[in-house]
Amino acid sequence: MNATIVSYLSQYEFFDFLTNLFGKHQSVLAFLIFLIVALVVVAVCATIGGLGTYAERKISADLQARLGPNRVGPYGILQFLADGVKMMTKEDVMPFTADKFLFYLAPMLALVGVFATLAVLPWSSGFIIADLNVGIFYLIAISSLVGVSVFLGGYASNSKWSMLGGMRGASQIISYEIPVTISILLITLIAGGMSFGKILSYQTGLPTNWFIFHNPFAFIAFFVYCTGALAETNRAPFDLPEAESELVSGYHTEYTGMRFGFFALAEYIEVFVVCGVGAALFLGGGNLPFDIELDIIPLQLAQVVVFMTKSLLLYYCVIWIRWTLPRLRVDQLMSVCWKYLTPIAIFNLMGCAIWLVVFHGKSMADLLMGHH
Amino acid sequence: MFIEILFLLSALLTVGSAVAVLITKNIMHSCIFLLGSLLGISGLYATMGADFVAVTQIMVYVGGIVILMLFAVMLTGGKDFVSRAQNLLGLAPSMGNKWTYAIGLLVAVVFLFTNIQLISNVVKTAPVKTFGPEFPSTVNQIGHLLIKDHVLAFELSSVLLLGALVGAAIIARPRKQ
Amino acid sequence: MISLASYLIISLILFVIGLTVMIARKNIVAILLGIELILNAAAINFVAYSRFVTNNLDGHIFSLFIIVIAAAEAAVGLAIVIRFFQIKETVHIDEATQLRN
Repeated sequence: MNATIVSYLSQYEFFDFLTNLFGKHQSVLAFLIFLIVALVVVAVCATIGGLGTYAERKISADLQARLGPNRVGPYGILQFLADGVKMMTKEDVMPFTADKFLFYLAPMLALVGVFATLAVLPWSSGFIIADLNVGIFYLIAISSLVGVSVFLGGYASNSKWSMLGGMRGASQIISYEIPVTISILLITLIAGGMSFGKILSYQTGLPTNWFIFHNPFAFIAFFVYCTGALAETNRAPFDLPEAESELVSGYHTEYTGMRFGFFALAEYIEVFVVCGVGAALFLGGGNLPFDIELDIIPLQLAQVVVFMTKSLLLYYCVIWIRWTLPRLRVDQLMSVCWKYLTPIAIFNLMGCAIWLVVFHGKSMADLLMGHH
Repeated sequence: MFIEILFLLSALLTVGSAVAVLITKNIMHSCIFLLGSLLGISGLYATMGADFVAVTQIMVYVGGIVILMLFAVMLTGGKDFVSRAQNLLGLAPSMGNKWTYAIGLLVAVVFLFTNIQLISNVVKTAPVKTFGPEFPSTVNQIGHLLIKDHVLAFELSSVLLLGALVGAAIIARPRKQ
Repeated sequence: MISLASYLIISLILFVIGLTVMIARKNIVAILLGIELILNAAAINFVAYSRFVTNNLDGHIFSLFIIVIAAAEAAVGLAIVIRFFQIKETVHIDEATQLRN
């Protein structure tokens, strides 16, 4: 059975009032709840994406001993709103020879692909919009729409730089999907399920219960996942599709105004989603790192705060890496994926399977402390 | 209610995109409409409670096959060759003259009646189930079936995929003339 | 109300469209698109029968294998198309008239 936010809410008293109010139109009620929750999540994530651009500029300024944006609002924190207004009021230029239909479609596909992943992102143990029993699989699948959009954006612009950027982007995304997916497969192997609720329910309590410390292979898999995820979201040091020194700005060279904004927003939200998934799969997600008795609402709020903290720490690392490491060459990029990450990921999966059989699914902490 | 609306939307997306694949002149647009049609089909799977198949559909087609097709279109120049003759409505490219259409229609009618005869038993005896919003999870059962009942096909398909991978790489490899 | 027949009709439409694409288009890639539509029409039928007629999941398994085979077919087919383009510098199906050279 697929648990959803509606089925979660339905266990509380105030829900009875709502069900009585709607009478026999229960599906309308469910639809309204989904609509409201989805709008809230999309709004929050759009804000996170916007703040991501601010964080990127501020942190890069820190790393380079500059000040960064500091004019709009306190510490320049409203800079992203100013940027948004600027983008929306910019003229929407389209190249004369562009493929009109695909040119309009590409940024939309990017946004759809990213926002659709938010449906299964576990903010806390209760607040998952739809805790599908194929949750993580769904997330991997639907996020490949971003790859299609990158390719189409590059093709439709009808410019050499966009074309090269788009082809690089698509080949990079589908190549790095393999080590990332195998690393995630390892987690589903340990948890015995693909739903985020199930995966999180195994990681409650102390940090030793997190899947990253479950066995040495999971520990390696976390870093394989992080490397692959950086490449899948086109972040430095793997930002070849938009390498500004060679390709102007890659697949979105010809995009202006809000369409460029959509691409940028999709990229920043995707980074957040990838960090959130990493936190949920390997670092315990929203589970509090200690045992504490709380009421249901404070508990959920605390879990959301914990989840956000972990995700944003990973987010900080992503930005940190971007402004520290130089960019790879294309051949290096492909050899990293196919000659190193994929074999390591497959070795990890085999090793983890053997570990689970030999030690009857016990984690390292269980073995060390002698729990049975 | 949910299921009916989802079904209608998915069916519209599937059939509409498929028609668009047929009538659009640009091969790149055809690929994108194929993507829409495949997403619609995965929606149809979802209305039948086949969650794993639906997600596999998205995974394989969107993440793999459609991008592969787009690459192939780019590598082969992206030109499309629509036959100059148009059909009666002038929409789709033509497949022949009026005689071939007449024969095709005749065959289709005969075929349709035969099929209705064959299918009618199945449709009549199909148990009418009430649709609830909840479907049982199919993931565990599919896993067991793949490892137990269908393990030979499972292994063979992995060999097939490996063969296809190596074969495709060898065939597409540029050779010195 | 949704029944088995509605899925079968959609599957029928998809099959016919796929067949038409295969016959009418002259680009080899477009023909491969038609093949994908036909394979998907078959897969819908399997899942529909599995849901409405039998009560087991064998139809799902069959659809999964169809998807696998479609992936393999697309990979090999497109490789052949690319090789063909390297030799003939066109992807028109009527140019494919020789078995060697």
